[in-house]
Amino acid sequence: MSASSRSDAWDVAPVALLRLDGDGTVVDANQVLLDWVRRPAQGVRLADLLSVGGRIYWETHLSPLLHMQGRFDEVAVELRGPDGRLPVLMSAVVRTGVDGGRRVDVALSRATERSRYERELLAARAAADRSADQLRALQAITAALSQGVGTDGVARALADSAVTHLGATAASVWVAAEDGTLVRRGAAGHLPDGLDRRAAGPGAGDPVGAVEPHADGVVVVALGAASAPQGTLVLVAGGGQSEDPFDVGVLTAVGQQAGLALGRAALFDQKASVAHELQLALLTTHLPADDRFTVTTEYRPGVQALEVGGDWFDAFLLDDHVLAVTVGDVVGRGLHAATAMGQLRSAVRAVAAPGVGPAALLARLDRFVGQTGVGFMATLAYAEIDLTSGEVRYACAGHLPPLRFAAGGAHEFWWDGRSTPLGSGAGRTEATATLDPHDQLILYTDGLVERRDRPLLDGLEALASAGVALRETSVGALVTGLLGQARDERDDVCVLVASWTPGDPATRP
Amino acid sequence: MTVLSRNNVVLSGVPDGPAMVFAHGFGCDQSMWRFVAPAFESTHRVVRFDHVGAGGSDLHAYDPQRYASLEGYADDVVEILDALALGPVVFVGHSVSAMIGVLAAARRPELFDRLVLVGPSPRYVDDGDYRGGFSAAEIDELLATMDDNYLGWSAFIAPVIMGNVDRPELGDELTNSFCRTDPAIARRFARATFLADNRADLAAVTTPALVLQCREDVIAPPEVGRYVHEHLAGSELVLLDAVGHCPNLSAPDQVVDAIAAYVSHVSVQP
Repeated sequence: MSASSRSDAWDVAPVALLRLDGDGTVVDANQVLLDWVRRPAQGVRLADLLSVGGRIYWETHLSPLLHMQGRFDEVAVELRGPDGRLPVLMSAVVRTGVDGGRRVDVALSRATERSRYERELLAARAAADRSADQLRALQAITAALSQGVGTDGVARALADSAVTHLGATAASVWVAAEDGTLVRRGAAGHLPDGLDRRAAGPGAGDPVGAVEPHADGVVVVALGAASAPQGTLVLVAGGGQSEDPFDVGVLTAVGQQAGLALGRAALFDQKASVAHELQLALLTTHLPADDRFTVTTEYRPGVQALEVGGDWFDAFLLDDHVLAVTVGDVVGRGLHAATAMGQLRSAVRAVAAPGVGPAALLARLDRFVGQTGVGFMATLAYAEIDLTSGEVRYACAGHLPPLRFAAGGAHEFWWDGRSTPLGSGAGRTEATATLDPHDQLILYTDGLVERRDRPLLDGLEALASAGVALRETSVGALVTGLLGQARDERDDVCVLVASWTPGDPATRP
Repeated sequence: MTVLSRNNVVLSGVPDGPAMVFAHGFGCDQSMWRFVAPAFESTHRVVRFDHVGAGGSDLHAYDPQRYASLEGYADDVVEILDALALGPVVFVGHSVSAMIGVLAAARRPELFDRLVLVGPSPRYVDDGDYRGGFSAAEIDELLATMDDNYLGWSAFIAPVIMGNVDRPELGDELTNSFCRTDPAIARRFARATFLADNRADLAAVTTPALVLQCREDVIAPPEVGRYVHEHLAGSELVLLDAVGHCPNLSAPDQVVDAIAAYVSHVSVQP
């Protein structure tokens, strides 16, 4: 190539070319650059030909890079042209000039296409980030829904999730009752007045889709199939940042997930309610009463998970002058425990007979458990009260001790007659104690005294001091008072109070 | 994670010598001091570090809230000095780190023996009679540019070096890593830097200070350097015969001489 064609190449090259001195001032520039910027370049610092962003970028990034590594390639900047900013890619390399001074050779190529492509890339990345966020939110909500127990638990989890994961300022969850009316079962955040009437939202047969946005930022989401929703989720949009923070796709998916969760919750509620009904039916049998004694009882199902356990009580006359009382606890919860409780309770009545006595009764129950497998490891306290003498024969199979309250206010736990839970095959023993007239004998299950935050003995002490008031108040009030502080972790509770009130034997028929 | 690993603190020089701490500015990392810091390693305990979000710092430590303003960066400086416990230090801050040093010294003067402010600007935007060098519209344009110039201000900023034919001594691992930064962090750092107004903080500084000003600098023009000098009681101003915003790279000898002279003559004072 001849010298003249080389110098022609400087001006006809398809890129803008510049030569800078050590300070970054343009010493020479080709015609392409002059055409792009439409103003004299010589003597001007390159930074001054760039947009303000490019200028700062040059001073804070590019010039330092040239000092540290001698060159850089393909950096996106913008030239200031007569018609606005012109995106270019800049490459530069440091050279030593003929005079030994520092020179920088710069080439700029147009990047209009590339910057459009970059913008598309950026948009694609933003979209990908957004879907990743949405997926994370959906996963978090699904996980929260799966942990909600019962319809109320699921509704609360959904309302909380809507605020936590969807960015709603408030949310309410409405579930269709049997007659089709919507009932509010969960809410989170501060609900504005007058929001409730929106709950009807996209209803059955409504041509509107699963997600119905309102002009004021309230969105109503159908839960379950949009054609026959199980309920609705009413969302209030977060203030500010974005006009439409709720993604219809995400909300639709949340609605479907919530529908499934509500379906599961309804089944659960039904099962829990069957177990509860069954247990109540088994417990509300007729208890004996005459003027020689009174028996009062209290049963409270566990709060947690709405599930009933296997606690029971019973009282019956063995013969004309012996009253049998018992309280027991079957291992496990739900339907299974409720039916096992029923069988074991019947077994106690079947094997109890005059002259058998508590120890032999437990041995017979062991046999029943061994033969049927029902009630293995159940515990019970059993006592036979002689209504003439006040003598009590009692036995505890792995159960908490009976508590006697004397008429004068003194109390004693009966710690004798103890053996292991049913079915464990150990020998059975019993003990004897005595009631004075108008004494009370209390049998109870562990839910009344056991709490995670204190030792069992403290729980027994609490019962003993509260029980003094039993003569003035009901057993129900006693239970409520004792459970007051531990409502959330409450297990089933069964309490039976027998009072011996012997009259004048001569007046007896 | 310790403060020292969070900020990639690198120690060199004389272990028992007086401490000199170098803080890099907006853009690159502690390697900006590669031509200056070594000159003090024979006399000083030399400390270099990266601001969180830059260079070898722990990116997981980046908290948008903490670093939304320069105060968060000043907190880091104080934490680093507390962790090192080297006694009062000479703090050399370039660009935005000059103001970070001012904030830290105003808060905890006992940690600082003196300040060297290279290309400082307490406010980049013009305001009434004050000339910062940029109009508000220009800074808005800068921030908008950073928002949409995805590749330009991102990790890809780093040019792909073709083989380093001219400078084979530069390994690939060094390529552009000095100025590599997470685009989201760079955007926020730019916001914290270019929207800051720390003019009022200058009066709170009692530490003696040296202002090093290039004769031509589009980012921190000479009149801004003079403003800093006039509002920092007991400061000195040295005008460098250099152009651009990074005299530590373009005129390192002048920077070294000015710091050395300042450190020696101030230190004879009680």
